[in-house]
Amino acid sequence: MNELMMTLGWLGIYAAMAFGAIGSIYGCALAGQAAIGAMLETDGGHGRYIGISVMPSSQVIYGIVVMLTLQREVTPENAAPLFSIGILCGLTLFYSALLQGRTCASAITAIKAKPEIFGLTLAPATIVEGFAVFAFVFALVLAGSIPQSPLLN
Amino acid sequence: MKQDQYVMLMASLPPHAPDLFAAKQPPISRIKLNQRLTMLEPEHREKLDLIENLVHWDRLAIATSDDQIIQRGKQTLNAINNDLMKKIISWRLEKRSMVAALRRKQLDLSAPEPGQKWGFGERCETLVQHWEEPAFGLQRQFPWLEEAERLMNTGKHLDLERMLLHQVWVFYDRLSSHHFFDFEAVIIYVLRWDVIDRWSRYDDEKAAARLQSMSDSGLGEFKTLFPETLGEEQTAYG
Repeated sequence: MNELMMTLGWLGIYAAMAFGAIGSIYGCALAGQAAIGAMLETDGGHGRYIGISVMPSSQVIYGIVVMLTLQREVTPENAAPLFSIGILCGLTLFYSALLQGRTCASAITAIKAKPEIFGLTLAPATIVEGFAVFAFVFALVLAGSIPQSPLLN
Repeated sequence: MKQDQYVMLMASLPPHAPDLFAAKQPPISRIKLNQRLTMLEPEHREKLDLIENLVHWDRLAIATSDDQIIQRGKQTLNAINNDLMKKIISWRLEKRSMVAALRRKQLDLSAPEPGQKWGFGERCETLVQHWEEPAFGLQRQFPWLEEAERLMNTGKHLDLERMLLHQVWVFYDRLSSHHFFDFEAVIIYVLRWDVIDRWSRYDDEKAAARLQSMSDSGLGEFKTLFPETLGEEQTAYG
C-alpha cells in the first residue's frame, strides 16, 4: 500500500509539468499551423501571427513552477495531497493550453482578414490564460500546506 | 483531433463575404483554391469532389437524366459516412426536386406517373398528391415555395435564382457555425465558394447581354450592314 501511495506522490509531482507540457505542445502546434496558413494568404504582419501562436507556451512554465514547489521527499502522509494537487493542476494546464491554442488559431484567421481587430482577438485567449493562472496560483498556495517529510523538519 | 485537422488549410483561405450578393467575385481563384486543397487527405479530397460533382449543376452533363441524378445521389449517400455531407446532399437534392416540380407545373405538364423516378427525398409523393394546390400545400413547412411559385409564374427568373441561392447561402452559413478547422469546415467553404462563383457568373452573363445591347444600339442602322457576320456573333452570345 505504501509503495502505491509513494508512486502516486511522485506521479503528482511530475504531472503538473508533464500535462502542462503536453497542452503547450498541442496548443502551440495548433496556433502555429494557423500562423503558417495565414502567412500563405498575407504579405505582412507575420510577426503578429507567430507572437500569438506561442501564447499557449506559458502553461508549461506554470507546470514547472508547480513541480518545483511540490518537490520534496515523498512519504505516505504527503503522497495523497501531492498527487491531488499535481494531477488536477496538470489537467487544468493541459486543457487551458489546448483550448488557448484553438482560440489563438481563430484569432489568427480573424486578424488575417481584419488586422484592425488584433487587440480584441487576444482578449479570449487572455481570459483562458487567466483561468490557468488561477489553477497555478492556488496550487502554489495549497502546496505550502502539504506536510514536509519529518526528516527534513 | 478531427476538429483541428485542417487548421493550416482553413487559415490559408480568405474569408467569404457575409453577404452573398455583395461579393463581385469569389475571394480566391479556383486555381489557388485547388492548390490549397492539396493539403487535404486523399480520401477527403475524393469526398469533396464527390459532393461538388453532385450538388452543382455546372458539373453535371446536360444529357444526365433525372433518374441518373437520383441514382448518383443515392450512391453518394451510401458511399459516405459523414453526417454533414449527407445532410447537405439530401437538403440540396430535395430542394431541387421541389423546384423541378414547380417548373414542371409551370409548363402545364401533368404530375409524374406513380413509380416514375423524377425527384429525390420523402416528399416526392406529397408533391404528386397535391400537384394542383398552390405550392403543393407545403407553404407551412417551406414558406419559400409560395414565393418561388409566384416568381416563376411572373417570369422573374433572376429573382427566383437569387432567392434560391440566398437560401443555399443561409443554409451553409448555419452549418458553418459549428465547424472551424475540420473537414466539414473545408466542405462548407468550398461549397460556398461554388455559390459565389455561380452568382458572379450570372453577373458576367448580364454584362455580356448588356454589352450586346449597347453594341446593337451603338451600331444603330449599321447593325445590318454585315448580316451574316453579326448573325454568327449573336449565335455565339445566345
